[in-house]
Amino acid sequence: MKQARRDLLKSAAWGWSALALTGCDRITTAVNREWLGEGIPERLIPPQDVQIDLDFHLLSRAAFGPWPGDVMQLKKVGRDAWIEEQLHPESIADSACDLRAERFESIYFSAGDAYEFRKPVLRDELTRHSLLRAIYSRRQLFEVMVEFWTDHLNIDLEKGDCIYLKPSDDRDVIRKHALGNFHDLIRASATSPAMLVYLDGKTNMVRKGTHDQPNENYARELMELHTLGVHGGYTQEDVREAARCLSGWTFDAKRVFAFNQSESYFRPDWHDDGEKRILGQSIPKGGGASDLDRLVDIVCQHPSTAAFIALKLCRRFVSPNPPQALVKRVSETFTQTNGDIPSLLRVILKSEEFANSRGQLLKRPFKFMVSALRALAVDTQAEKGLLEPLQRMGHGLFQYPTPDGYPDEELPWMGTLMWRWNFVLALGSNKQLGTKIDIRPLNQALSETKSAPDIDRWFAHLIGRQPSEDELKSLRASAQDIPTTIGLILASPAFQRC
Amino acid sequence: MSSLTRRSLLSKLAFAVPALAEKTENHTLIHVFLRGGADTLNLWVPYADDRYYRLRPSLAIQAPGTAANAAIRLNDRYALHPAMKPLEAAFKEGRLGAVQSVGVDNTSGSHFECQDQMEHGDSMHGTPAGGGWLGRYLRLRAGDNPSPLSAVAIGTALPESLRGAPAVSVLERIEDISIKAPAGKAEAVVSALNAMYGADVTMLGERGVETLDLFRRISTLQHGNDAPAHGAKYPESPFGKGLREIARVIQARLGLQVACIDLGGWDTHFFQGNSSGTQAEQIQLLAHGLAALETDLKDHRANYTIMITTEFGRRVYENASLGTDHGRGFTLMALGDRVKGGQVIGGWPIQADDDVNVNTPGPGGLVMETDYRHVFAEVLHGSLGLTNHEAEQLFPGMIPRKVGLM
Repeated sequence: MKQARRDLLKSAAWGWSALALTGCDRITTAVNREWLGEGIPERLIPPQDVQIDLDFHLLSRAAFGPWPGDVMQLKKVGRDAWIEEQLHPESIADSACDLRAERFESIYFSAGDAYEFRKPVLRDELTRHSLLRAIYSRRQLFEVMVEFWTDHLNIDLEKGDCIYLKPSDDRDVIRKHALGNFHDLIRASATSPAMLVYLDGKTNMVRKGTHDQPNENYARELMELHTLGVHGGYTQEDVREAARCLSGWTFDAKRVFAFNQSESYFRPDWHDDGEKRILGQSIPKGGGASDLDRLVDIVCQHPSTAAFIALKLCRRFVSPNPPQALVKRVSETFTQTNGDIPSLLRVILKSEEFANSRGQLLKRPFKFMVSALRALAVDTQAEKGLLEPLQRMGHGLFQYPTPDGYPDEELPWMGTLMWRWNFVLALGSNKQLGTKIDIRPLNQALSETKSAPDIDRWFAHLIGRQPSEDELKSLRASAQDIPTTIGLILASPAFQRC
Repeated sequence: MSSLTRRSLLSKLAFAVPALAEKTENHTLIHVFLRGGADTLNLWVPYADDRYYRLRPSLAIQAPGTAANAAIRLNDRYALHPAMKPLEAAFKEGRLGAVQSVGVDNTSGSHFECQDQMEHGDSMHGTPAGGGWLGRYLRLRAGDNPSPLSAVAIGTALPESLRGAPAVSVLERIEDISIKAPAGKAEAVVSALNAMYGADVTMLGERGVETLDLFRRISTLQHGNDAPAHGAKYPESPFGKGLREIARVIQARLGLQVACIDLGGWDTHFFQGNSSGTQAEQIQLLAHGLAALETDLKDHRANYTIMITTEFGRRVYENASLGTDHGRGFTLMALGDRVKGGQVIGGWPIQADDDVNVNTPGPGGLVMETDYRHVFAEVLHGSLGLTNHEAEQLFPGMIPRKVGLM
């Protein structure tokens, strides 16, 4: 069985290289549908409870919503086993997604080499890659965490040269450590060319014999946004001292005679090599490049960091005001495991607080869009037709201007309903540019009898619970046909939440 | 919940939540970008300066009173291009004003770089910030419960200046904003959404009902009398049509805060023309369009401010193909009740001495005297109430300075 699958993958890979040349997306879809698990099961049993089904709930938070059949599959293996599998993404075959998402050349380029691309191409490829991974990857929790850390370590493509440097940051920082260790993630981010440019570390220099003052921009955000949090107990002096530790780390894509032109590097002549004192700990003089490692250890090990990351994760996964007891447990786990990200997720996803938080989160536009596409087993290459609505909803990936990343709060997203409605109304009727859905097999799978399924079965499939009497009445009163009904359910308040 | 109580709840909601879009104090900044580097020296003619006539033997606009197509006198120093005639009254009423020698500090002379710098609100000497300057501003205010139509760009592509905004609509016609329900089903869809969002007692429900209200008001616009108010006549061009759409959104009070519109065709390297010709046609389009907008919005004068900018001005001297090449400073214009109009702020634009070497590449005579960010910040302050603290966040590293335009 294993052998057979590998053979199939191999032939798929062969097939893909031929497809890549002809750009035959239709064959990709066919291959994926027939052999690689992107299909729709013959029979779907939608949740029967008036409360959101717990397995559906897990897939709404630890994934970008269920693909048809995911809930039933999860019921088969059990939540704990599913979580464990998701926490080991390398164990999950993902060739169907790879076929769609690995076609973009620029995502393989190193930081210094991506300058040969035009900016719109880079923006387009990076965004499409993320969107396709979120829609099609079977490593869903991994993709959810990629989104989380992308916000946490936000980099705006529009600032300076960041657009050339973000593709490698996405690959070598965010994706490499999304389910790894928090310290490693922060350490990688600290010398990522994109971050060195975005937060000015590139020009943080204290040259010998000058009165250079260090550039504190990154040092401040490292403490305020990446680790301790704004009230995490650091002082302005700590920020300054951290900036001294970081001085000398830089990036220059135009460097000639360099062995590793496309990487960041340390310039001893720009480094302030004196003694530093940060958060009560001292770093002896003469540490050179290793000052950075000491600094990362100090800030990551600070108790405020454990609490800050725990709170932020609970806000993303549980509710806008997560129960303190849960935050405390996650924070303690952070300390005990020295920032092991999977351990934190286990505590959250298996907690009672998590189960009790059903329906309490507003979906941000990206999740809203992806969950709708997944629920309908969409066929898309994530072209302009998908990117434009995202842009209208103010969530055009990698374009958040300030270092705090796209917000988790509800209010900033409240002006987006108009575009949400129109997106799903068009999607349900198969009129959304760049997407194709096939209602027929879903309809069949949802039908108990030969006749078309009732509204409540569609509702339960999309929302994860039975509709209330009011909801059913509203939908029935204006029921026209299946496509409109699907559009309406996806446009309803219930689908805006998860 | 019985349907009676729900209905009473709905009506209560309708009164309890005044739709944000109806706030009377709502003010709109209309941002007109003249793409290509407009030769503002021929728009605001420094007729009192001999050098202007000496360096532009073919392209200069005749001094007021000297010819049929002469410039329109404003004061002892400046006159308007004759095609600016439709805006003469606004200047005299004190609603149209200008700042001389505004610019970006980018010396590349590249359209792309200078537009990019200006739209991102950056400076060569500061820390670049992320997003567009208007996008950043709207993000700063995202907590104020913005209307879904707080930002509109006329056209088909998102302008860089609006990148990062919480919600932004790129549209060519206001008709683009409607419930995209399958044909003939719009009514059923609206009534179902109304029922479902009306029954939701959270903020989400409120905003849903408000959004439906917004759609309703736009659809009455679409089905109502579509003629511009007060007999306003817009030029037949995408620019004229775009301005009309902006006027409709303002008239309908939909909570519009920022509207962006472009007018291209200003890169006049050859056969620029003078009182007539290539540039004169663009000027006429600009002036006619804005004058029509002014007429159309006569009843809404307190509710908008227009700012007209370009990426750079052009050189004082004409080139051998009877055009002008890329310069630095330009004249920025603003129009509206809150503008301190009737004046041209700033020093004399032509700072070159008598023997300008026409062979020297570079800015050639036009300087940059006022950092464009100072003007942008002041216009945002005067129109949308940007605070000093916000200005520092919006333009990192900029020390705000009074310009006197607002």
